[in-house]
Amino acid sequence: MLEAFLTSAITMATPILLAALGELLVEESGVINIGIEGAMLAGAFVALAIAYFSGSIALGLAGAIAAGVAINAIFAMLVVNLAVNQVVTGTAVSILALGLTGVFYRKLFGVTGKAFMVAPIAKIPLGPLARIPLLGQVLFNHNGLVYFTFILVPALWYVIARTRYGLRLRACGERPEAADALGLGVIAIRWQALIVSGALTGLAGAFLTLAYANTFVENISAGRGFVALSVVIVGRWNSWGLAAASVLFGAAMALQFGLQALGTVVPYQLFLALPYALTLVVLAGFGGQAAAPSALGEPYRRQ
Amino acid sequence: MLSSIAKPFAALALAAALISIVLAALGASPVGVFAALGEGAFGSWYACVDTIVKSTPLVFTGLAVSLAFSGALWNIGADGQLTIGAIAAGAIGPHLGNFPHAIAIAIILAAGVLGGAVWGGVAGWLRARRDVNEVISTIMLNFVAVQALSWVVHGPLMEPSHAYPTSSPIARAAQLEFYFAPSRINLGMILAVVLAAACYLLLFRTGAGFELRAMGCNRRAATFFAVRIPALTFWVMALSGALAGLGGAVQISAISHRLYEKLSPGWGFEAIAVALVARLNPLGIIPAAILFGALDNGSQAMQRTQGISPELVQVIQGLVILIILAFDTPAWSGLRENIFGAPHDAAAVPPVAEMPDA
Amino acid sequence: MLRANAITKRFGRTLALDAVDFEALPGEIHALVGENGAGKTTLMNVMAGSLAADHGEAILDGRPLQAGSPRAALAAGIAAVHQSPMLFERMTWEENLALGGFDTGAGALDLDAIATRARSLAAKLGFEMPPAGATVENRSVAERVRLEVLRALSFNPRVLILDEPTSVLAPSELTAFLDLLRSLRGEGRIVVLITHKLAEAIAVADRITVLRRGHVVARTTPAQTSEEKLAGLMIGEIVTQPVASATPSHSGDPVLQIENLTLDDHTGRRILDRLSFRAAAGEIVGIAGVDGNGQTELVEVLAGARRPSSGKITVLDGSSGGAMAVIPQNRDLDGLILDMRLWENLILARPLREQVTSHGWLNTSHAIDLCRELIDRFRIRAPGPETIAGALSGGNRQRLEVARAIASRPRVIVAHNICRGLDLAATAEVHRTILDFATGGGAAILISSDLDELLAICGRLLIISRGKIRETNPGERDPERLGLLMAGARD
Repeated sequence: MLEAFLTSAITMATPILLAALGELLVEESGVINIGIEGAMLAGAFVALAIAYFSGSIALGLAGAIAAGVAINAIFAMLVVNLAVNQVVTGTAVSILALGLTGVFYRKLFGVTGKAFMVAPIAKIPLGPLARIPLLGQVLFNHNGLVYFTFILVPALWYVIARTRYGLRLRACGERPEAADALGLGVIAIRWQALIVSGALTGLAGAFLTLAYANTFVENISAGRGFVALSVVIVGRWNSWGLAAASVLFGAAMALQFGLQALGTVVPYQLFLALPYALTLVVLAGFGGQAAAPSALGEPYRRQ
Repeated sequence: MLSSIAKPFAALALAAALISIVLAALGASPVGVFAALGEGAFGSWYACVDTIVKSTPLVFTGLAVSLAFSGALWNIGADGQLTIGAIAAGAIGPHLGNFPHAIAIAIILAAGVLGGAVWGGVAGWLRARRDVNEVISTIMLNFVAVQALSWVVHGPLMEPSHAYPTSSPIARAAQLEFYFAPSRINLGMILAVVLAAACYLLLFRTGAGFELRAMGCNRRAATFFAVRIPALTFWVMALSGALAGLGGAVQISAISHRLYEKLSPGWGFEAIAVALVARLNPLGIIPAAILFGALDNGSQAMQRTQGISPELVQVIQGLVILIILAFDTPAWSGLRENIFGAPHDAAAVPPVAEMPDA
Repeated sequence: MLRANAITKRFGRTLALDAVDFEALPGEIHALVGENGAGKTTLMNVMAGSLAADHGEAILDGRPLQAGSPRAALAAGIAAVHQSPMLFERMTWEENLALGGFDTGAGALDLDAIATRARSLAAKLGFEMPPAGATVENRSVAERVRLEVLRALSFNPRVLILDEPTSVLAPSELTAFLDLLRSLRGEGRIVVLITHKLAEAIAVADRITVLRRGHVVARTTPAQTSEEKLAGLMIGEIVTQPVASATPSHSGDPVLQIENLTLDDHTGRRILDRLSFRAAAGEIVGIAGVDGNGQTELVEVLAGARRPSSGKITVLDGSSGGAMAVIPQNRDLDGLILDMRLWENLILARPLREQVTSHGWLNTSHAIDLCRELIDRFRIRAPGPETIAGALSGGNRQRLEVARAIASRPRVIVAHNICRGLDLAATAEVHRTILDFATGGGAAILISSDLDELLAICGRLLIISRGKIRETNPGERDPERLGLLMAGARD
């Protein structure tokens, strides 16, 4: 029981964490991307469509990456090159992706209501590690994407905090005019962050359709992209914090299923609302925004 | 004046062009699709009326969004504010059976106003007193509202037979009746138009509206002129929420008569497109809302006759917003700057030598 | 050799640089002087690559520099220390320097090695370094200047351009800094010093170029010129007589009383330190100080844009009209809303807004009429009240702000650098307006870094330095002595 719950928590947490890590890169460079929900949805749909028609999971994943990157590229053109309001652009991109995936889904798969299933990505139990009681099943009996996400957490922490590139990235988010005066190339760096983030978010979406639900339904992401935004805030713009927050929110989402089944007094909606309420509390009470990059969300244009 | 109307039309034309490309990729005929949309929206008397019905919530949320945007307060939470207003209306509605009709209507609409105002006010307070970015807070509150709605229709407000996840129907006295039945024209639409005029007067003919616009144009300068930013922020967000909440109450009172999940098909987000097309002018909200209401209405017919799912409307919404933003950016006006010589974007200008005054 | 050929740059309607030629040789300190707004910073930005000129090019050692690319400029060997801070506040100083030239770029990022290199260079220069791992946020202004100079030097540049680096240094630090410039010159580098402080320019420069309103008006050497001559070239005419005689102080009833005004910023740094002063009716009080000693914040507090940590501001209200009108320094960003129309900008002033509002309703036509009246009275060159403020030239925008201040009938007018960037005629006009206002019974507080302007028109002079205010002796009019007090010397 506990094992199933914890495993489910990790499974729920993975796509959120993957998207959040991508968003972390973007926000460290000074941009807030509300279109993350759209990129996730696009990745989810393209992954399923390609996997279904080609029979290849690998192609599906590749497609998801391409879709995420494409959505983020639209966002980047407006926000990085034209210095447009990031919030409204991000919202528009999400709406656009919602519409596009819906339209193409209906066209490709019809309105029969029959679910188009795809075989899930294979799980790769990690040998002896998987045999550890409880933790073994919870942590080491997942598919490749989950392991990839595990590795990404320390990797991204290292890149951002300890490497030259991370320093340049953070400079762009701290004071873009100064970064440009030092020849760091703010526009290029922000584009790079958005492309990498697009790939990661697309993969997160692919996880939803190829590993989790094994099919696509309209708006399958169901706000997980926004949860990823919350995760970055609650995790205080730090990879490890993001991981912790994602697991917390993943556990909350896993819990709500169990509660629905049990039919307890506590409404399961409380747990679904938890990530959002917690974000507000963190922002309001604990100086949440003080940890954000200084220039986050400000449109920047070279003279 | 002419250029301010020309811009939205240009944006819509470009959106139509891009949509045509998408439609071609789907193997559908752009002309056929647009014709079906038009037919579905305006093809018959009943269709026209239904377009108005579908536009009404967009007027309320559009006003909410444009008012907040005018003060540079990015209210992405109109959906949540509408939902909470609807919950308030749906909660009190079943108990209004013994009131005279006019009073019941007043109460149910007031509940919507109050609910929405609270939801907007929370975000406003968080911005004013805790410096929490209202974008994040309103998005978060959207989701909390969705869960709240889910909870009440499965729990405390669930209808007595517990067969379906909806609330008890509101009393007859609290229902906005239809004029010219079987059309669904009701008082709510008239109210929406009146409010649009009121918002226009507020924004352009009152001292408070002036302060709001000043805050939106240049927040820092506004602080130099005794504009009390925190109080203004709070009240504007509360008012914005109130408008959206009222829209929710009108929906319950006139159309749905009860609460159920997924009450709003995204009116709060559609409102952003409406507000931008209207260029944040409350009077422009009415035609803009009708445009998008027409698209919503026509999309059903489009699905029937052309086989394109109604989500195409969201593609249009997203594209319109993106195009308008792209046209209105400093970079674009920088281009205009060189062609027409008009100065713009003073923020980019450092203190420099002056030209001699001729 | 660093050359700038016929550089022209426009910002909107304003011509910042008009076919400017500039040249600096290795082993020389070349001072670029001019008033604020003359175009010095713009020229520097073009040469350092952060700004692309409309016409003309910068050339280093015969090779043209890629326009608009700071990276190219740095690679070619041009490093700049800008006037506005270019440090990353929340990073440590080691990380800030790592983004400069101390990082070899090979292998993993080694902050310790970078810190060591930085410390050794700092020792050679006589700089003190902050403690290891300290963020830049809490560093003092002087420390920041040192860090920026260090970062610029880390690129081992052929050319070092410094924009007003000494305006925030204390006299003791000044000598060391000028010695530093001399030693850099001794190494064969090109040093371009941008300053409006003529004494320093004459003291340390080999050659001096004078800019005025986007043109080069003189090229000279310290031997061939003097502070007075340079000042004259900078302004365009030697101002020997004041516009009108200064009014005697304490001629009327007290009107403004500031008591123990204190302001601490969010990191706890004290910006205003128990400021106290008063002004009487009919007085024009000058507050002289080098930029960056708290003037901007004082203006923000007086305008109500910022709440002080403690202290009291009292305006003794007499007749009708608002109590205090404030004209901030940054007229385009803080004083006006350029996207709004003239009449809308007019009613930004609360007293005027109240005049045209009744029970919350704005009487638009009344406001427009009022605006038209003021346009006539103050001779603002504009098509009409419905004109967008951004369409006005700088001088007319200033007229609008002055008009608005006067029209709101305050008891006190506070103006910060009110004549900055204005030509002589416009300056005289503004001074006349202020004098009329004082004669009519109001009190004027003029905050400025231009001692000459203040000496010409103010009856009483205060000095602001590091957030503290001190009175000067009545009759104390020696600019050199006052300049020392402004720079923070103790009595």
